[in-house]
Amino acid sequence: KSAPKSQKSAPKSPKNPPKIPLKIPKNQPQNPHKSAPKPAQNALKIPKKSAPKSPQKSAPQSKKIGPKIPKKSAPKSQKWAPKCPKNHRKMELFPVQMEGVKLTVNKGLSNHFQVNHTVALSTLGESNYHFGATYVGTKHLSPTEAFPVLVGDMDNSGSLNAQVVHQVSSRIRSKIAFQTQQSKFVNWQVDGEYRGGDFTAALTLGNPDILMGSGILVAHYLQSVTPALALGAELVYHRRPGEEGAVLSLAGRYSAPSWIGTVTLGQAGAHLTYYHRASEQLQVGVEFEASTRLQDSSVAFGYQLELPRGNLLFRGSLDSSWQVGAVLEKKLPPLPLTLALGAFINHRKEKFHCGFGLTIG
Amino acid sequence: MGSGEGRAPRRGRARGNPGSFDGLHRSCKEVFPPQMEGVKLIVTKTLSSHFQVTHTVHMSTLGPSGYRFNATFLGDRQLGPTEVFPTLLGDMDSAGSLNAQVLQLLGERLRTKAVFQAQRSRFVTWQFDAEYRGDDCTAALTLGNPDLLAGSGILVAHFLQSVTARLVLGAELVYHRRPGEEGAILTLAAPNWEATLNVGYGGAHASYYHRANEQVQVGVELEANPRLQESSFAFGYQLNLPRANAVFRGLLDSSWSVGGVLEKRLPPLPVTLALGAFLNHRRDRFHCGFGVTVA
Repeated sequence: KSAPKSQKSAPKSPKNPPKIPLKIPKNQPQNPHKSAPKPAQNALKIPKKSAPKSPQKSAPQSKKIGPKIPKKSAPKSQKWAPKCPKNHRKMELFPVQMEGVKLTVNKGLSNHFQVNHTVALSTLGESNYHFGATYVGTKHLSPTEAFPVLVGDMDNSGSLNAQVVHQVSSRIRSKIAFQTQQSKFVNWQVDGEYRGGDFTAALTLGNPDILMGSGILVAHYLQSVTPALALGAELVYHRRPGEEGAVLSLAGRYSAPSWIGTVTLGQAGAHLTYYHRASEQLQVGVEFEASTRLQDSSVAFGYQLELPRGNLLFRGSLDSSWQVGAVLEKKLPPLPLTLALGAFINHRKEKFHCGFGLTIG
Repeated sequence: MGSGEGRAPRRGRARGNPGSFDGLHRSCKEVFPPQMEGVKLIVTKTLSSHFQVTHTVHMSTLGPSGYRFNATFLGDRQLGPTEVFPTLLGDMDSAGSLNAQVLQLLGERLRTKAVFQAQRSRFVTWQFDAEYRGDDCTAALTLGNPDLLAGSGILVAHFLQSVTARLVLGAELVYHRRPGEEGAILTLAAPNWEATLNVGYGGAHASYYHRANEQVQVGVELEANPRLQESSFAFGYQLNLPRANAVFRGLLDSSWSVGGVLEKRLPPLPVTLALGAFLNHRRDRFHCGFGVTVA
């Protein structure tokens, strides 16, 4: 039943179950130092990689936590609270599974336009080449956010990923996303988000098919009850010829100066996360997922260690499926190079993956 | 070409090259990148001027992962930069496989070596050899896996003679308990380049090594085996960048294998980082790996 919904959330970055980032999508973990708060080195101020790229990444990346819970009861609502810059960062704590060799070249062509090429040589699956282009418009919301944002990504087999994000008015933001596998459209969705003074409401229409009469409708609501506590709900209604259903989940988030805890409870299961900023350099996160449908639960622990003076970023994770992994990223000044080394070992299945990648620009 | 395990140094005269049968092709082989896969961490600790210990942890993507411990003892007698006698070398891995070597110098010109190799608890190799280095010739005798009870073994005899300052000619004779085999070695050498040719019943092996300049070395290797009815050709190059503390080795094969290994030292720490990747186009297989060597 939740299959249509999980399709919609497939394009999201591996660690965020169904994230539809209406803010400018943050960087993939490959470019940690180019995240929005820090001014980028080239002309563009937007983060380089956006969510659409993630599905083309090799399959193991999505399998971070043992059983992949269908993305129905998701912490999506937490991201839409009036102030939630830290939520993204919490999810970026976990290292991304790396295997094979990846070379990425980013080129900023102007203040508004940027292009990237990625060649991935994979030991497990297929090697591929991606071409991505990003356009940022002229309407500035803040020094780091500009609209509209058009992001496109195409790979060598013809699979396309496209997103358009636009701020329609001062409070309403909308997004359209398309995803194809080779020449077949697998995902098309449109959504709108309204940000009030102390609440956020969002409506998403996923894979609407008028001829067949199928589609998914997701409604979110998140209300700041106190400055630290936000409560909300998510309603997912899906319809296929012959069946329809709705799932409701409740979400809550508590933010303290140095930690954030979120809870999402629903008919499909529970999802709890805890993020703690231990110091300027160390961030720690714990995530618990339980699914009633799969009758399974998992816990993951991750941490991120930043050493800006050593140009180093280290992420480690430990899973309840006895999977241990780490990624080390190092910038190599004075060249605009970033070297990433990653290795994952799954003790239970006795499998080991390692890979490294180089990002230029 | 027989067992190829004997020792036959190039020349008795002080040309400075180390001796060994594999040393004939060694200059060319050192240009080629070693196959890397998985993650390897090597920690070397020198306990004294005579004793050194190495720990290696290898996490492999293809086979089993393991830990290996290596201990080396070097004696007092030093003949050259890499030749110290007696040398005792022991290597043990987490599965219990042992590799042990003893190198000793008897007299001024006679070197002896004993090698033992065990897989888990079973001995697979035990060999002894002796090498005599004359002024311009080298003679070596190797006895491999002698088994008195079963009456089997391998005997290898080498002889190398410096014909001129640049040309070395030699021969190798390998005798099994089965019908014996013979072969011939021809080596030509010059300061910037070396060409080596082995011809025998077991096949032909030719290699050419060229030092283009201080930074670039190139090697080409051709092997033909009539018994297996196959031959292979490999081209490799090595790029030394001492100012960048980096060495890069690249390889292109006749089986459409392309590979490269980059080794970079990271001063001031005594750490070397190695990144390697190999792509076999014909079989569509890709391996990559990296390793860290401490000291």
